[in-house]
Amino acid sequence: MNLVRAEWERLRARRFVQLMLILLVLAFGVTAATTLANSHRPTATELASAQREAADARRGLELAYEQCVAREQGRLSNEELGLDPYYTQNCADIDPGRMERLPVAADFLRGVFTFAQAALPLLYFLIAFLVLFGFLVGASYIGADLNSGGVVNLLLWRPNRTTVLGTKLGTLLGVVGVVSLLASAAYLGTFWLIGQAAGQPGAVDGEFWRSLAAVWGRGMVLVLLASALGFAAAALGRHTAAALGVIAAYAVVWELGARLVMLILDVPRHERFLLSSYLFAWLSGRMTNWDENACRGVGFGTTCDGSWYITQGPALVVLLGLTGAAVGAAFVVFRRRDLI
Amino acid sequence: MSAVVEIEGLRKTFHTLRRGRQVAVDGFDMVVEAGQVHGFLGPNGSGKTTTLRALLGLVRADEGRMAVLGERSPERLTRVAGRVGAIVESPQFFGNFTAHRTLGLLARAGGVPVARVDEVLAQVGLRGREHDRVRGYSLGMKQRLAVASALLKSPELLILDEPANGLDPAGIREMRDLMRSLADAGVTVLVSSHILAEIQLICDHVTIIARGRLVAAGRVTEVLANFDRHEVRVRADDPARAAELLRAAGLTVVDHPDHLVVGGVDDDTTVSRLLGEQGVWLRELTPLRPDLESVFLELTGTDSHPALPRQAGGPTEAMIDLDVSGVDA
Repeated sequence: MNLVRAEWERLRARRFVQLMLILLVLAFGVTAATTLANSHRPTATELASAQREAADARRGLELAYEQCVAREQGRLSNEELGLDPYYTQNCADIDPGRMERLPVAADFLRGVFTFAQAALPLLYFLIAFLVLFGFLVGASYIGADLNSGGVVNLLLWRPNRTTVLGTKLGTLLGVVGVVSLLASAAYLGTFWLIGQAAGQPGAVDGEFWRSLAAVWGRGMVLVLLASALGFAAAALGRHTAAALGVIAAYAVVWELGARLVMLILDVPRHERFLLSSYLFAWLSGRMTNWDENACRGVGFGTTCDGSWYITQGPALVVLLGLTGAAVGAAFVVFRRRDLI
Repeated sequence: MSAVVEIEGLRKTFHTLRRGRQVAVDGFDMVVEAGQVHGFLGPNGSGKTTTLRALLGLVRADEGRMAVLGERSPERLTRVAGRVGAIVESPQFFGNFTAHRTLGLLARAGGVPVARVDEVLAQVGLRGREHDRVRGYSLGMKQRLAVASALLKSPELLILDEPANGLDPAGIREMRDLMRSLADAGVTVLVSSHILAEIQLICDHVTIIARGRLVAAGRVTEVLANFDRHEVRVRADDPARAAELLRAAGLTVVDHPDHLVVGGVDDDTTVSRLLGEQGVWLRELTPLRPDLESVFLELTGTDSHPALPRQAGGPTEAMIDLDVSGVDA
């Protein structure tokens, strides 16, 4: 317990952590202030106009779908609809009933912040920042300590390497978790208030909150995994820069370079070899990909869209496996390493 | 007396891509008894720090047996860690922390009462500067802070690696007084240093390491005695006649421009009596005693000259050959 408290104090007192928190508050403040400055409560006229436009848009979608179905059933021809005679379309693609969302009034309100509409992108931004925060703080926390002799000092007091490294990692995850929780509450709370006072809340029903909470929960898992990964990479490389180097090298060599090579070589379903796919799939719940090779040789007129998915389950397994392996390696190496 | 540090057959090899296989410590032995102020000497790269780090569990030994306060190291080091204070080389501290905060964090981590922080700050002479950021400290002040961190636990065994690094002469004297007072209080002190005069002043026992191997160990007085060639420096009114007489008496004489160095003199009065009886009058007769530095340089093979015995308490005045064939080098 004493060690946890000491580590918590060390982490709290670190300049880098303080700087990142200031950046978080700044990014937060700028986003909120900009949103507040560019939003107003919609007047009854604006609201009525937006609702009309939304209704028109929905009707337009329904009409397009009905015409498509009629064309499929031979009740209408392309010429009657003013389309190219050879034009074809899969009507299921434009079925309003199968769309993720239909146009709503908020889509047609200019200069009005609608919380229900903006919450998800705002949350993605917060998660991205917290992932960066966790990774950098995790890496610098152990990297600087290994580099400065702080770990050696600690081991002279507690000559148990697993305990020392485990306490550091535990404290890091605890602190990043609490910071993320507080930041999320403050961030979303602020924008909810902006929506109430200077915009409109939008359709914030139970389903909305459930969906937002699910993304938030997955985002927090990602933040903790990124923190642990940064910590492990810096512990393995004995330096903060090692973690940054690993990320930069991976991004350039694999995500860009290897992706390009796989595209040139036409590697089927190459997305499964890229970590970014699993990150995206985990955060959004599912990643849809298209395999062009899957439909080769399929006869004309046969339904084949070649789509395949990475779902959140396998994505979590990959992310947990990678982080677990890195953390495990960091502990094994640290236990055996000569601290010189 | 019981042994508080025991090292037997310690061997450690480092493997690096650049320099390949490097034997840092090669079958090294050392024993430090309770209550000693034990000097640990060796040239740069001789294996001192590796030995201390291995003893403290920071470096994994390839072979050998080590024990600290009766417990095997590193396996059972946790049992005695609270009774051992140590600094290894120059520890770095977070620059934006104050000394008080640095020690406070360590105290909390080790379960030491925070009140002890002020005591050790006073002990190492950092009171008044304890709330300054460590970034602004001189090297000497950082060294004092390191010693303070080692003293926090009120250790029974204090291991200090180069504690005088960066200290000015006044700081070195304070450090010497501090070690002496700790020894008087019953703390066993194992100190490695390059400042051999300091070691000679404060240590009662010494272990000398060279190229990873033990080359000498024992009481400082005994180690020095092994290298005493019973030499005296002689200045006489007729140096040529004096040299002739002394050689005739079976003594070894080395001529220098303004004096002679005479070896094999068991009793200093022999020289004065021998020369006086023949009407050669002495202007100076000074015993030359080896000091730790000359012994160290000779034993560790780092001397660019042959061994340089010193006038007791004074500078080197003569050059003679020392026979160290009896020493395990």
